[in-house]
Amino acid sequence: MIPEFGQLTLTFAFALSVLLGVIPLIGSYTANERALLVAKPLSVGLFVFTLLAFLALSWAFYHDDFTVINVASNSSSILPWYFKLTATWGSHEGSMLLWVMILAAWTALVAQYSKGLPLLMQGRILGIMGLINVGFIAFSLFMSNPFERSLPFYPVEGSDLNPLLQDYGMIIHPPLLYMGYVGFAVSFAFAIAALLGGKFDSTWARWARPWTLAAWLFLTLGIMLGSWWAYKELGWGGWWFWDPVENASFMPWLVGTALIHSLAVTEKRGTFKSWTVLLALGAFSLSLMGAFLVRSGVLVSVHSFAADPERGVFLLIFLLLVIGGSLLLYASRMHSVRSQARYELFSREVMLWGNNVFLLTATLVVLLGTLFPLVHKELGLGSISIGEPFFNQMFYYLNIPFALLLGLGPWVRWKQQKAAPLLKPLSLVAIFALILALGTMAATQSIAANLALLGLLLGAWVGVSALFEIYQRLQQFGSVTAGVAKLQASHYGMTVAHIGFAVMIVGIAMTLTYSEERDVRMAIGDRVVLAGYEFELQDVYKLNGPNYGGEAAELDVRTVDGRYVTHLHAEKREYNIQRMVMTEAAIHARLSRDLYVSLGEALPGNAWAIRVYVKPFVRWIWLGGLLMAIGALISLLDKRYRRTGTQAGAQHA
Amino acid sequence: MRKVLFYIPLLAFLGLSLFLLSGLFSDPRERDSAIIGKPLPQFALPDLMSPEQIWTPENLKGEAYLLNVWGIWCPTCNAELGYMSQLRNEQGVRIIGLYYVLPEDPMFGEVFDLAKLQADVQSRLQAFGDPYQFNILDRQRRLSLDLGVSGAPEHFIVDANGIVRAHHIGDINPQVWRSKLAPIYQQWAAKP
Repeated sequence: MIPEFGQLTLTFAFALSVLLGVIPLIGSYTANERALLVAKPLSVGLFVFTLLAFLALSWAFYHDDFTVINVASNSSSILPWYFKLTATWGSHEGSMLLWVMILAAWTALVAQYSKGLPLLMQGRILGIMGLINVGFIAFSLFMSNPFERSLPFYPVEGSDLNPLLQDYGMIIHPPLLYMGYVGFAVSFAFAIAALLGGKFDSTWARWARPWTLAAWLFLTLGIMLGSWWAYKELGWGGWWFWDPVENASFMPWLVGTALIHSLAVTEKRGTFKSWTVLLALGAFSLSLMGAFLVRSGVLVSVHSFAADPERGVFLLIFLLLVIGGSLLLYASRMHSVRSQARYELFSREVMLWGNNVFLLTATLVVLLGTLFPLVHKELGLGSISIGEPFFNQMFYYLNIPFALLLGLGPWVRWKQQKAAPLLKPLSLVAIFALILALGTMAATQSIAANLALLGLLLGAWVGVSALFEIYQRLQQFGSVTAGVAKLQASHYGMTVAHIGFAVMIVGIAMTLTYSEERDVRMAIGDRVVLAGYEFELQDVYKLNGPNYGGEAAELDVRTVDGRYVTHLHAEKREYNIQRMVMTEAAIHARLSRDLYVSLGEALPGNAWAIRVYVKPFVRWIWLGGLLMAIGALISLLDKRYRRTGTQAGAQHA
Repeated sequence: MRKVLFYIPLLAFLGLSLFLLSGLFSDPRERDSAIIGKPLPQFALPDLMSPEQIWTPENLKGEAYLLNVWGIWCPTCNAELGYMSQLRNEQGVRIIGLYYVLPEDPMFGEVFDLAKLQADVQSRLQAFGDPYQFNILDRQRRLSLDLGVSGAPEHFIVDANGIVRAHHIGDINPQVWRSKLAPIYQQWAAKP
């Protein structure tokens, strides 16, 4: 009964989304106020019905309703209850429903928090959100129905959730990531509404900014969590794989980052208009492209759902309508828009333009690297694969000028900046950064001219510059203490996010350079020494979990001079139903390094293959991502996003 | 000119979607085989049913054949047994099986049992049809690895001199046989 109820509510949601996609948009052209006013209740209703559908599916999973095909193939009765619930989005069908629910949630949020917007604009934005909803609900309902039954013959036991997904990371990684992907639909809707209205003053940019920041915040957290999860769960200490699906999430992130910066220029200076609109279209288009790549099976990836050309064709048509349609609208409307603002070569505008250039180059690199194998093959040139070396090398080259620019950018004023006043503070920053980088290196490793030194230098440059800049900005209020309360939240947010970037660069460079790993054969009592740590295998015993068996190893870690560090517990699980082997690595995390042990196969002679890693500064990568997300959150708290009326923000030039 | 500039994103996207469309209808896992045009790798493997018989590339020479990598654990392989039997009986295609043994996992209490395997294969072939002249037992999966096999079923056409002429990943059905494999097979079967 409940699954049918879910299907019914999803059908209602479909009807509501069609109404939402049609009535307010027509109303916006016939100046029918009642048609525009209906957008808000429709949006809320849409969210309520998709939420009910989602809850119905969760209920089916929670109660092991194996007559539902989706439940039978992605859950089992012995799965712990929290994984049963997360199995709701473990399959293509279920994750599509989650996607739809989150999209409707964003639509309802926009409806709730758009009181300051003119009614016309509000109706257009919600109408466009409605049209996007139509596409995804139709896809969920007609192409991948999550509620399909297998009556009258149904299995008595499910085939279990993929063990890879039986992890706490699974509970929040997909929802956060989807919040991010789908959140860019809001920026997209704002841009399309602006295109339809033909008005590109700075107001639309100010309205779009908080929504873009929120979406970017979730996407950042989602990607970071995915990286940490892979590190923990895949058992070989990698944290980024340049997998097509990771790339599919990285591209909207890069464009979204460019969009945040470009929106600032459009809001404050009224320029870069066509550029900003294109980025807003691009961020969501790349999210859609990501969904297509994951769900159509055109690329090989660990994340892929089962490939089905029919679904792919549906998504491709949807992609053509949404992306193609919006780019056509863009081309026909945007060419006549020109900005009047003037600025000099050395100005904040040009700095942010540089930021955009680097971020888009990076996007292009990722896009080419991801799709080139496909293009190459479809041209009949044979199969190739593009992997880590290509991406890593491109990102070294891109990151050096990008980081140098990032250290400089926040110091530069809008319109025009004289070089002389910046010379003194920036030389101070440079000297201080040099001392800090060399000092850190001397304290942790020996000084050498390598990637780690480069990373430390760039990271110190960006970080020290961000701190000095905010200090100098606070001083402009008279005294630092007086300035703390007066400075806008968005300025703090920017500083925190930039420091996050610095922390991440340091983490990546140090980990890449100084990680050590060894694959060893160990019997009980054996010891292995790596990077100044001594690992002793104390015991290996059989595991007995709810839906898995396997082995667990206990290790003691000491420093080489005998000081006790920690005790590690690594597992190798065999999941009974899916017959998959999963490693649960033992990780001892400190800010300066991770100790990482994963248990491998049993070898003859009562010994085991054990892989030991020491990864310096690896935490900094995720810490950096976390700081970026916190920066976005602080910016979101900025008062001027909460003010109503059109005069807000005008005084912050 | 400025107007044209704004159409670039649209054109780029449309160009890209052409590739995405064609990508939908081709298998991303399909690769060109590196082994085409080369002789079979060296091996000396026993016959599945009578293990005292050892097969090597040399004693397979003399007549072109279709080498089929399969196993009873593979449903698609079982499904194609019927059509391949038809090929053997009606068109006289020489088909040799390369039996791929799944790795045993002692964790799950599995051991290799030749007598049981022989009985299982026998009953499977009786049920679905037996296209094979004989089966080579690839116990250590060495030969399959050297051939670049990535799954089952896979098929190789080997000519009378032991040179690999075609590699097909996936099952053989009437369409695949007619359009892809039959022309190559007939070309090499005709030569002495």
